[in-house]
Amino acid sequence: MRLTIGGLLLLLALPPLLRAQDSIIVIDPTLPPGDSAVVRAGPAPDVVADLLAFYNDSSTTRMQGDVSFPAGSEFTGRLALFRGSLRLAGRVRGDLVVINATLYLLPGADIQGDVLVVGGRMIRSPGVRHAGRQRVVWDAAPVLRSAAGTLVLRERRRPLGELATARTSFQTGRVRTTLLLATGGTYNRIEGLPIVFGPGFELRPSRASVARLELRGILRTAGEGARLSSDFGYGARAELRWPVAGIAGRFSSEVVPFEDQPLADSENGWSAFLLQRDYRDYFERRGGGGSAWVYPTPSLRLEVSLQRDQERSLRATDPWSLLRNSDRWRRNPLSDDGHYFTTGVSLDLDTRNDRDVPSAGWLLRARYEHSTSDDVAPVALPQTVRPPTPIGGGYQFDRLTLDLRRYSRLTQSVRLNTRLRADGWIGGDRLPVQRRISLGGPDLLPGYSFRSFTCAPRGFSDPARPALCDRSIVAQVEVRTRLSLNLGYRPRDRVSGAPGRFIGLEEADLVLLGDAGKAWLAGDGPGQVPVNRIPSFSEWNVDVGVGLDAGQIGAYLAKSLSEGEPVRFLVRLQRRF
Amino acid sequence: MRTTPYALAIVAAVALATTAARRTEAQTPRPVRLTVRLAQDSIPSGSRAPIVRSEHLLGDGRWLSALRSGLPVRLHYTVEVWRSRGGWFDAFARQAEWDVVLRHEPLLDQYTVLTLVGERGQERRYATVDALTAALAFAYQVSVQPAEAGRYYYTASLEISTLSDSDLDELQRFLEGDLGDAAEDDNGVGGAVGRGATRFLLRLAGLPSLRLEVRSLSFQVR
Repeated sequence: MRLTIGGLLLLLALPPLLRAQDSIIVIDPTLPPGDSAVVRAGPAPDVVADLLAFYNDSSTTRMQGDVSFPAGSEFTGRLALFRGSLRLAGRVRGDLVVINATLYLLPGADIQGDVLVVGGRMIRSPGVRHAGRQRVVWDAAPVLRSAAGTLVLRERRRPLGELATARTSFQTGRVRTTLLLATGGTYNRIEGLPIVFGPGFELRPSRASVARLELRGILRTAGEGARLSSDFGYGARAELRWPVAGIAGRFSSEVVPFEDQPLADSENGWSAFLLQRDYRDYFERRGGGGSAWVYPTPSLRLEVSLQRDQERSLRATDPWSLLRNSDRWRRNPLSDDGHYFTTGVSLDLDTRNDRDVPSAGWLLRARYEHSTSDDVAPVALPQTVRPPTPIGGGYQFDRLTLDLRRYSRLTQSVRLNTRLRADGWIGGDRLPVQRRISLGGPDLLPGYSFRSFTCAPRGFSDPARPALCDRSIVAQVEVRTRLSLNLGYRPRDRVSGAPGRFIGLEEADLVLLGDAGKAWLAGDGPGQVPVNRIPSFSEWNVDVGVGLDAGQIGAYLAKSLSEGEPVRFLVRLQRRF
Repeated sequence: MRTTPYALAIVAAVALATTAARRTEAQTPRPVRLTVRLAQDSIPSGSRAPIVRSEHLLGDGRWLSALRSGLPVRLHYTVEVWRSRGGWFDAFARQAEWDVVLRHEPLLDQYTVLTLVGERGQERRYATVDALTAALAFAYQVSVQPAEAGRYYYTASLEISTLSDSDLDELQRFLEGDLGDAAEDDNGVGGAVGRGATRFLLRLAGLPSLRLEVRSLSFQVR
């Protein structure tokens, strides 16, 4: 017996007395997709009709629960059992129906009539006699027992309730509407915990296309206070998507970070919420833009985008934190306020075999952007960091971001992951503060403290510790192998003494890591690196480390080699890269 | 042949110990096992498909316990095709993956088995643990046979876990017919803090998770 699943999934009804050992499901990834996303299988309608008619017939003897017919007993007539089990060692003269229950035919059992088992198995011992038709369907019968004692068809409920967010959807004509109330973004010292709410609309003009419109309000639980508008943000996004291409437009007022490191969103939120340590800086972006993308191959995505935004500085507020709540938050640096018009080109190549835990493949993310501004109001920075920024028009700069990762398996249990990340200014006027870069911290150089390398000149003092570098480059390598840890214990059941659920960590990856990176100011001045050069490797900052990664949590020890910094202990809530 | 009382005592002790060991073995739940074997050679080129099967999935009780506690259990199967390269690291060729999501509906006391392959899925329900166990013992034959000449082998992995909040969210979207890329919303609404918190708590609460990996025999494609 074979069942076929592929791009199309076809499961055939199981024949009577099918043994699991004989059953094979064929997975064929090359089959074209079918029309329906989820096929809900079950007993054939005629089978369900038969069992309903049989059970609800007034001449049928109905039973429920666990029932035994011992050897020597005899029953004559129509017999039905709903839920539980029927252990039959005696004789039944008549038809037998077992619904959502198991039928055990024990030695000596003798049935003179048809047998129908739906929603359970029939386990037959040697020495059983049966004269009549036999049908067994493992799939549960979609029936319920009514107050009158008869069986009725059960309405199919939704497979899962709304568990992750408060979200409800309903269909009006061809438009599907979803109302959402959820947390958005992550906990930070500007907004606290932003609450996102609003409707979303979806229309499918054709089978292959989807049009969406999402309107979102954002309530900031820790606004600046002075302005009511600072407590609120908004976002509107419309997109039309086909399998290989799409276009989108947005219009929003939102808080966005300067850099996407040294921690991921969720980790930074935890750090801020628990420890009052927010490792990112933020500015407000208000405006709109559009993008168009295409997938020339399933693993390659190309995108072009245009956007015009007003960017403005934000002050850190004082949201609550679990620990160190009486401490003061680090100040949020000023940004170069103004209206920016940005043109961007992105390339994403993803051949990884798994998005969460890849063991093979490439990931390349590259983005080039050209920005201009006619009304920038630059923050005063030392001349060594940035030459005077043109004000009154004509300010423009180019920036390139590159993140290349390779996942490979050396042996079945040893994996080698490497990453090269480069970011920074490549042309035009120098970058505004909110596009500048730093190094040091848990993600890219864990052997160094947060913002060890900001390119701030000697004597420059700013409690916000802004990132001021023009460029950075980092290379990371890690070797992973799986370890059986069994850190924890398994309590025993008080009654049976059987071992219970293991509490703790059973397995984890042993990770050996090494990182090297450099952040610098480009130019011809003292301490700067010529514009057309990358610092030689001997000038890079290097660290090594070891850690245990148990999936959702990992602990690492890292030590810098090129500086006399202490050994650092880190806890990560996701993979390094 | 002379038999001493000491020898008899030793034989008796060994027999008792063996019996006790067998009893203990019978009481000890058998661990979950993953196997991968090669289908019979039916193609002239010698290419053979992998057949993957998980055994004793409900044997040790923890997954059944998780199900009955209301936690969906996800079985994530992956089959990778590797090409042997003598003297150098083997080359990854391709892979196939699929999921089986198990849920228990306490009001009906039924088990739902949702099999997902790509954008397609199929849901079945079982009213008894017997039927569920039998259904989970199906073997999967995966059509990923290599066509190019060379020496190959398969690795199969099975990752069993309770569903995280994002998985539930994504599954819900899938079941609602939303075939868009849910990953694009990773950093948006839904809340990174909330998602991280749930994952973290799920992890520390001692909820079970397990990863098994096996490798097949090698075969030659001509």
